Amino acid sequence: MKFIPRQPREGINVSDTHPLVEAGTLVAGLTLIFVFIALLLIFLVEIALYFIPVEKEVALFEDWLPEDLITVSPADERLHQAQLLVDRLAFHWADAPYTFRVEIDDSDVANAMALPGGLIIVTEGLLDQVESENELAFVLGHELGHFRNRDHLRALGRGIVLSLFLATTMGNDVSSISVTVTDLTLRGFSRQQESSADEFGLALVYTHYGHVDEAWRLFEKWDNDDRIMPGVVSYTSTHPDAGDRVEKLKDQALREGWPIEGLITGLKW
Amino acid sequence: MESTFYQVLELVLNFGLPFLLLLVAYIVGTMLEKGHFRSIRKRESEYATFPVVTFDTMPDDWSASSSTLVSGSVVISLDYFKRVIAGLRAIVGGRIKTYEPLLERARREAMLRMIEDARRDGYDAIFNVRLETSRLANSRRDGKGTAGVEMLAFGTAVKFASRFARAQ
Ligand SMILES: [Zn+2]
Repeated sequence: MKFIPRQPREGINVSDTHPLVEAGTLVAGLTLIFVFIALLLIFLVEIALYFIPVEKEVALFEDWLPEDLITVSPADERLHQAQLLVDRLAFHWADAPYTFRVEIDDSDVANAMALPGGLIIVTEGLLDQVESENELAFVLGHELGHFRNRDHLRALGRGIVLSLFLATTMGNDVSSISVTVTDLTLRGFSRQQESSADEFGLALVYTHYGHVDEAWRLFEKWDNDDRIMPGVVSYTSTHPDAGDRVEKLKDQALREGWPIEGLITGLKW
Repeated sequence: MESTFYQVLELVLNFGLPFLLLLVAYIVGTMLEKGHFRSIRKRESEYATFPVVTFDTMPDDWSASSSTLVSGSVVISLDYFKRVIAGLRAIVGGRIKTYEPLLERARREAMLRMIEDARRDGYDAIFNVRLETSRLANSRRDGKGTAGVEMLAFGTAVKFASRFARAQ
């Protein structure tokens, strides 16, 4: 038998697609797919919100607390006062469908959040910085604004979308993502949602006190701090553009003719 | 706004660095691959007349005076670029085109090393050639990642009884 020398033929086992073309096709294609899925999911979230009435939401999350929450003692006077303040503010929100619950989280970073079922969490770090009831009232009123627009559920839906997206792009197993409802709710409040919640909060503050003095004092402070050491103020990482928001709040007060000076109510603790 | 500077910095660190790494991996990886293929082709044409067959018994018209086991093995690592593209490919499935040249190189290099192994000891031909491949797990915690592939070629090398016998 004759042995016929022959060199391996090129182009049989290796596709002649240029690696960069392959990369480009994949990136473009996958981006399109993800954008489509994300839009679809966001749309589904909106539909779900339409079909999940607040009563159902409240019933589902009635007794729910985030797992990683470290609450202060139920006898804490600040908890009592904050709950009272929320109740008084909510009184000015005609037929509010929620029964609001306030919890204080034992955390040094100043933050406040609106969670499913009418749960409002403020951190000790925030309470430490608050110097008057008026300031606190605006922070709480702002969170009430999120409830009115149901931003907290929207954020939940979008948070899930984002987590799925990150999980697949980072190559993780989708089943292995563990995110808490709290994490999800805190992600992705849009600038518009914040402004809208601000407007609502300020209106509540005005209705309650008859003026808006000190409503945004905390924001001015955080805006300054943020300029000096960006990223240190936690509230500004979930609630961006403190400075911007102060301007908008001032505009709103001016437009509505709400007095920006008035009697400051002290804290009762 | 000073904070914009930090945001940009963060963006650069989060996305710029991996992208730069990807670019470097692509350029260096492509250069190395091209170089390897050049070397493979050069050696293949050098050994083109050396008989290498896959029959599991020695062809009848070969008359051997001695035989031995020869083998050639090579371990080639993926570059970061290939790995990333393959990762993207894994989402939708399909041919992992960036891995094809990698395995092609491994196959041909292993064969060449096997031939070199045989020639160094003066053998004249190899029959019953087999190829085997295995995956090297890398040190990632879950042990799932792949550090590279090993390709092993082995066969039975023979010395012909007379120079004449080789003329075929
Ligand atoms: Zn907010």
